Amino acid sequence: MISRRSLLTGATAAGLALGLGACASYPDPGPNVIRYWGVGAADKDKDEQVREAFRATDAGKDAQIYIDQVPSSGVADMSQIITAVRGGTAPDLWWMDRFNAVQNASIGLLEPLDELIEKYEDVSPEEFKSQWIQFAVDELTYDGKLYGLPCTTDARGLMYNEDLLRDAGVDLDLFDADQHVLTWDELSEAVEQIVEIDDRGNYTRFGFAPWLGEGWPYTWAFGLDAQAYDNDTATVTLDSPQWESVFQLYADWAERFPYATVDAFMATYQPPNAPPTQTAMFSGHLGIDITGPWQISANEKYAPDLPLKFTYLPVAQEGDPTYTWSGGQCLVIPAGANITKTLWEFLKFYAGYEGQSRVVPQYGNLPTNLKAIEEGTYNPKAELFRKMLPNSTSRPPLPVGSAMWDTLTRTRSSVALGSRTPAEAVADNQSMIAPKMDLFEGYRMPDTYGQPSPVPGS
Amino acid sequence: MSTSQAVDARSADPGGAAEPATVDPPARARRSTVRRRNLRTALLFISPWIIGVLIFIVYPVAYSIGLSFTRYSGMEAPTWVGLQNYVTAFLDPLVRTSVGNTVFYAVIAVPLGLVVALTLAIAMNQNVREVALYRTIFYAPSLIPAFAMSFIFIVFLNPQFGVFNRILNVFGGSNVNLLGDPTGVKIAIILMAQLGAGNAALIFLAGLRNVPKTVYEAARVDGAGPIRQFLSITFPLLTPVLLFNLITGVSGALQVFTEAYIVTNGTGDPDAGALFYMMYLYKNAFGFAELGYASALAVLLFLVGLALALLIYWLSRRFVNYDVEAG
Repeated sequence: MISRRSLLTGATAAGLALGLGACASYPDPGPNVIRYWGVGAADKDKDEQVREAFRATDAGKDAQIYIDQVPSSGVADMSQIITAVRGGTAPDLWWMDRFNAVQNASIGLLEPLDELIEKYEDVSPEEFKSQWIQFAVDELTYDGKLYGLPCTTDARGLMYNEDLLRDAGVDLDLFDADQHVLTWDELSEAVEQIVEIDDRGNYTRFGFAPWLGEGWPYTWAFGLDAQAYDNDTATVTLDSPQWESVFQLYADWAERFPYATVDAFMATYQPPNAPPTQTAMFSGHLGIDITGPWQISANEKYAPDLPLKFTYLPVAQEGDPTYTWSGGQCLVIPAGANITKTLWEFLKFYAGYEGQSRVVPQYGNLPTNLKAIEEGTYNPKAELFRKMLPNSTSRPPLPVGSAMWDTLTRTRSSVALGSRTPAEAVADNQSMIAPKMDLFEGYRMPDTYGQPSPVPGS
Repeated sequence: MSTSQAVDARSADPGGAAEPATVDPPARARRSTVRRRNLRTALLFISPWIIGVLIFIVYPVAYSIGLSFTRYSGMEAPTWVGLQNYVTAFLDPLVRTSVGNTVFYAVIAVPLGLVVALTLAIAMNQNVREVALYRTIFYAPSLIPAFAMSFIFIVFLNPQFGVFNRILNVFGGSNVNLLGDPTGVKIAIILMAQLGAGNAALIFLAGLRNVPKTVYEAARVDGAGPIRQFLSITFPLLTPVLLFNLITGVSGALQVFTEAYIVTNGTGDPDAGALFYMMYLYKNAFGFAELGYASALAVLLFLVGLALALLIYWLSRRFVNYDVEAG
């Protein structure tokens, strides 16, 4: 019979073994060890392809790269990474939404790369950075320092279902990006032709609403010259007349196509958290959506027979310049990482031509590395978006980026629902963000922000 | 027998724990040693809970109170800002919005939850052969995690295919997306919470089974029907359990988060309709990296929760009846 002492000793030992076993799964740092938080479970194979390619090089032959997929709970939810960094278990390299870079750099979550460039590269930081498209570098720059290397990028445009538009009697030439750039009036007329309503007043077929898909306030702000921040006066400018016109756009469309009815239509055919196969576009109920090149791989995978094509975002008057904006991903080194030459080489490899030319075509997105863009290492169907890149830009790289995005998105729904006027919405946005930016007195975005980003061969 | 009578009866018991009139000093010393040893043993046995409370509750609460007077991103050293976070909280329109949403939720969800739980408990307490099966069926929804329940509700409320809209259509209504309306989304989350009423129902059931059968028999002899029995016997004798469920319900309502986070993709929209207090707190902490401000919001929530619990305790003296124990 087991004595009480033996039982307690055994139980304690088993508990300790379990606890220590759980802790031991995290690899110890070493000169060739890289702990990497990757792209996401669905794209783990891309991370592995780059890892194997890197290990085949001289710089990477001794590298031990441990890939973990740690999905974020939300676009700007930093709970996992902050917890890991504070708990001393930070990854050495992290695949991150580039939009969060400046905010994360401002709170000390990321390591600057300038010293690493000077230490390991034979060229100046400026020359080194010139390998990537300018707006992506700007989005990673805080207080004059670079906090990551850009990987993928994108742009925004309209996607339309040619069959559906033809069936509705819409002139398809207006949507042909090689011939024409749509105006808002032309788009509006097309939507009237597309819309079908049942006897209960529900939309059974719908065309377009500016708050659907990628119809964020920023999307239309770039077309209406609404700036979020003035570098010269270091002030937030979310209450400008241009911003009011952005929200007026939502109000005008909501008046013609009530938000609640459009919302019921979308929730029917594309409910929240629906799988990528279940979209209003794929089921043939939505004619026009606002999206980007990432959609191409989903189209090929889930709706290969549907004639889905792309065109530019609508402009106010015929002849107005086209506009768009670009997001994308990057690789960063979180605070507390084990910074080694091997880590730097892997970071440079993944974000450089070698890594991007391997994985970007598989995402359907566009590369940020200029050589990869020039050599066309992306899905050929993304060519229209590639053409948009020289005149594209990122969202403003501000240390209050998440809060700004949050308030703009919230007031968009307020205006579309009619609980706020456009004037009230922009006043709300200004009063919400300006005090937060006051904590960064005299902050300047990079001087090149908002300027064209030259792309060789364009 | 009332509580006071029970105490008097125990005091009068010569074999009880009352101290003898005179005790010789060595015996007292022995007893004192035994008591100390017992205390040590007792403390040793409950030490995991004491240590757990100190580490996981007392320390974080104290740390959070400290952080609430600072500007802190979670990374760099906190900067002392005094009461600025509290002033900001009182001026922040989204705090007002989130408090309004949370109060809306609590005022409807808590009483409704008590009624649903009590109804379930009464159903579970029926003297029928398959009662065990019914209890399992009634309790089963409470086993579904909140996030899974949220996904089920998204389908349930689908404007075209969901049961909710099918019922609306029967009465000639057009399709609505409850989750796309600022008030509708709150109502949907309140309805969702009712599927978790099984836990409170189990506590009510324990209370129901504690009511002495003799009291009902006496009432029947006096001619009381089922409704009179419920109002005059069952309900008054369930009030201690009601108090417990009320306090845990209010506490849970103040912290409503998961369902709203999932059905709104973490935004709290449309129009901040589902931006509950905890969601706004979470956004500030982990979305905007304002942990100092989020800590101040947490401290305010703690104080409000404490004040409400005290208020309920104070009010409970008027409605809670501890007179009868299990017979």
